[in-house]
Amino acid sequence: MKSERINNVLHPPEITEDLIHFYWNRKKYFARKGDSIAAGLLANNLNIIGRSFKYHRPRGVMSAGVEEAGALVTIGFGARTEPNIRASTTELIDGLHIYSQNAWPSVKHDFGSILNFLGRFFAAGFYYKMFMGVPPFEWGRGTRIWMFFERFIRKAAGLGKSSRLPDPDYYEHLHTHTDILVIGSGPSGLQAAISAAKTGKDVLIVEQDYIIGGSFLNQQDKKELEEQEKLLKKLGVTILTHTTAFGLYDNTTVGLIEIIPSEGRKDLDKKPRQRFNICRANNVILATGAIERVYAFINNDLPGIMSVNSARAYLNRYGILISKNIVICTNNDSAYETAIELKNAGAKVTILEIREQIGDILLRQISGTGINLLLGSGVAKAEKGFNNSTISRIKIVEMTDKGWRYAGTLFCDCLLISAGWSPVIHLASHQNFPINWNEENACFTSFGDAKSVFLVGSAAGIWQQKQCINSAKELFKYNSKQKYKPSLITGGWEKPIAPLYEIRLASIKGKAFVDPQNDVTTSDIRLAHQEGFISVEHMKRYTTLGMATDQGKMGNIIGIALMADALNCSISQVGVTRFRPPYTSISLGALAGRNRQSHFKLIRRTPFNKFSLNNNAVMINSGLWQRPWYYPVQSETLDSAYIREATITRKSVGICDISSLGKIMIQGPDTTEFVNRIYTNSFNSLPVGKARYGIMLRDDGFVFDDGTTWRLANHCYLMTTTTNNASSVMTKLEELLQVRWSNLNVQITSVTDQWGGCAIAGPNSRNLLSKIVDNPVEISNESLPFMGVKQISIQTVICNIARISFSGELAYEIYIPSDYAHSIMELIWSRAQEFDSCLYGLEALGTMRIEKGHVTSAEIDGRVTIEDIGLGRMASMNKDFVGGVLKNRKALTHSHRPQLVGIFPKHKNKSFKVGALLNEAGRLNGHPIGWVTSVTFSPALGHWIALGFIEGGLNLIKGKNIVLSDELRSTFLDVDIVSPHMFDPEGSRLYG
Amino acid sequence: MLQIKCPFCGKRDQTEFSYGGDGQITYPALNADEDSWHDAVFLRQNIYGRQIETWQHSHGCRSWLLVERDTVTHEIFSVELAHGDWQKQVEKNK
Repeated sequence: MKSERINNVLHPPEITEDLIHFYWNRKKYFARKGDSIAAGLLANNLNIIGRSFKYHRPRGVMSAGVEEAGALVTIGFGARTEPNIRASTTELIDGLHIYSQNAWPSVKHDFGSILNFLGRFFAAGFYYKMFMGVPPFEWGRGTRIWMFFERFIRKAAGLGKSSRLPDPDYYEHLHTHTDILVIGSGPSGLQAAISAAKTGKDVLIVEQDYIIGGSFLNQQDKKELEEQEKLLKKLGVTILTHTTAFGLYDNTTVGLIEIIPSEGRKDLDKKPRQRFNICRANNVILATGAIERVYAFINNDLPGIMSVNSARAYLNRYGILISKNIVICTNNDSAYETAIELKNAGAKVTILEIREQIGDILLRQISGTGINLLLGSGVAKAEKGFNNSTISRIKIVEMTDKGWRYAGTLFCDCLLISAGWSPVIHLASHQNFPINWNEENACFTSFGDAKSVFLVGSAAGIWQQKQCINSAKELFKYNSKQKYKPSLITGGWEKPIAPLYEIRLASIKGKAFVDPQNDVTTSDIRLAHQEGFISVEHMKRYTTLGMATDQGKMGNIIGIALMADALNCSISQVGVTRFRPPYTSISLGALAGRNRQSHFKLIRRTPFNKFSLNNNAVMINSGLWQRPWYYPVQSETLDSAYIREATITRKSVGICDISSLGKIMIQGPDTTEFVNRIYTNSFNSLPVGKARYGIMLRDDGFVFDDGTTWRLANHCYLMTTTTNNASSVMTKLEELLQVRWSNLNVQITSVTDQWGGCAIAGPNSRNLLSKIVDNPVEISNESLPFMGVKQISIQTVICNIARISFSGELAYEIYIPSDYAHSIMELIWSRAQEFDSCLYGLEALGTMRIEKGHVTSAEIDGRVTIEDIGLGRMASMNKDFVGGVLKNRKALTHSHRPQLVGIFPKHKNKSFKVGALLNEAGRLNGHPIGWVTSVTFSPALGHWIALGFIEGGLNLIKGKNIVLSDELRSTFLDVDIVSPHMFDPEGSRLYG
Repeated sequence: MLQIKCPFCGKRDQTEFSYGGDGQITYPALNADEDSWHDAVFLRQNIYGRQIETWQHSHGCRSWLLVERDTVTHEIFSVELAHGDWQKQVEKNK
């Protein structure tokens, strides 16, 4: 095969302004502006572009469109490396670096091609079977052997390699609204856009190619295209090139990906790389065209074999004559125009016509052109030359009464195939619109939903350009009153197509490819049938037919036809796999857009964030929140820091940021009734100026959340929730008030961000507070008793204070208006210097609550009942509350349910970790009887302690020896099961 | 992507909303018997076709909505506020 640039009137010789250069595997070549990568390579007679996925067979350019299965390349370098780029559709930019893929050491001499000769072992399902083990002893079965072989398999099989570096570019999201979206800018798409715009509608036309025109571009006469373009501009139609409609979604929403024109490459840092455009259209017109098919014969993947229409594209769009000795094999009328054009361009052309007769008009057209026509013949095998990998001769067959018969050899260096056309119905398939097999034209067609999605032109199975354009015009003859009826006239050739999917002769052996990109052969399809994978969806998954980046645009129908043949039924009975988005591969970066890192997972900072960081806090993520974890002094570790913090707090005073707790203001005349229904315990009796700890259940009776609720005024409560459940509690309360109890007059507002919360805990907490508040009398034991709530002023700022304790010490929670939180915290901390004091973080907070047996989300994990956590007495018997009925279900009240307990190691110097299991001694196997939820070193007790659950709780476990087992860390300890209230069980310190 | 016409905020993307559940459930009184609570919490129709479901406009006005939607075609037929009085008010103001 020798492809070269031609020079004639249509394609004048190169002028320097049009000349661009590129690098193919680091070697410099020249091409013309406007070339695709494939055109640039072909113009330089570079025919072997890549190596195939499985067998490492040499592959060249097979098409001039998105169906490309051979010419996949990697472009760019470093972090901007893009693998698996279709050379046939990507614009060649000046200075572009292009590399071949899946070949070592070079694409011409690839070591991996040895796999080609072992091909018979690598049939469909090879890996499934191989790693099931080899009989008779199932040698090699199991994960380990797979893990070993996997690296070699992954290395040998595959496509290009992507960069491991972070993506330096950014991507934009865009929302577009339009009356009519036209997808595809070929003859019918342009006409549809023009007709739509003439009705006064807002029209957007998108084209995946880098210029508009579609099949107009492949024609010698471009006058009509120029006229239509002018009309589009005049009518103000928006045109987006470089834009692929990759998916059709509900409510005629279309996903578009726009690749930013490459001229901008040099200032890429300032421009997004791609735009993900979510387009909402009232109507979508699919003018997506059709893709020319090939058929299966031996070695139908050799470089130098491509579809007829692509040779036409290279000739008329890029001015490249693909070869001077061309054979065309066709079963339909569409190939003849190309044959004549190729002949006129100076090639020797032979047509092998599958049909035994063609129409008179066609005959007249080619007579006298010097084209050699052989009726009733086809190609059975292609063979490569002695010293190159491209095609050099073919074995031809002729039709007899008994089928195909070998008819000799023909020399050629390029073979063009046309075995029919497949309308691009992918987008219609995304929405599951009906798809039918059109027997007459041997293709699948769809009419959309005939309501808001329509197909026109060759996408609707219409072959003649004039009729395609008419079908677009016709669409706009209908208005809302007349129901649209799709035209049933399809096809339009002089003589019908002779369906052809495979030519096979028993005497000629070799590989015939169905899906060249995934190296699926005809024998793989037969094997799938033989092994029972006869549904198209199963066949697809077993053979990987149609699963590569081209998504079966070329091979799908051949596979379906072969399966129909094997099953002895019709193609319509076999059906088609449902296409799924994306139509062509798209980058994940575009879908993510700017929603990356902290723009995806937001960071919530408390009002004390700056203060904490100024004071050397190490932060930890708690949901979206950043909370102080511990405050190391000098080079202190986490362990020594939290032990110090907890010790100082219990001895004197500690200060902790608790702002992340959910805070919900509840107001209105029915507030008390509402709160009373939410919580299991009674809030009727809660006086103004008091707080109460409450538990709320889900409808199904399990514990939902806990927290304190403060009665600030008669009809005003401040509810606190756990950090984890803040938003789900809010949502639930809103649901109850709006959906179920709309008769209650209650307003709720989230005020989490409005207040900075800090806990001041320890025996000296009141002494510290009295130096801060404007009127120290207000916080005396009499004025603010345990669980008391009031408003106090600090530096004239009104704050809410409650005497509540999570640590078990004399403690206060102060809520300061967020704007003042930082400065008041600085005041508190400066006054705290007079005491032995510390700031404590989440770790020390956890330590102290575990010592006290207070539960958090580690224990309330959605699977525990109020009895399980030992708070059954908080479920009121005298009122109704959410979850009150279902919590009494038999299985939830069983005495053997796991219950909250404390855990001490028998040997006090031992430590252990969360997640360990609890078993009876001597019964380490089988189902455990308990588990550990929270572990800490207790400074107050001087050894490691834990909270956990164990079947039957303290009562049923009495007298049994319990072993804590952590198989993963090989820790096995004898433990004592104790009350969860491990420190100061009487609570005497609270009242200090 | 679905678009839901919130009575307060207008037609908005589905991503602004969160799905609630079956909108046709009538929850029993808090003191009703176990069976009726069991049925309300656990039994669902799994409708093929039109169903009424609750959604919350969580990234908007936070209203709970009753949305009539076809589970097959995803077509939305009506959107109302779940709070009856609010819905009446909205209709009156039209």
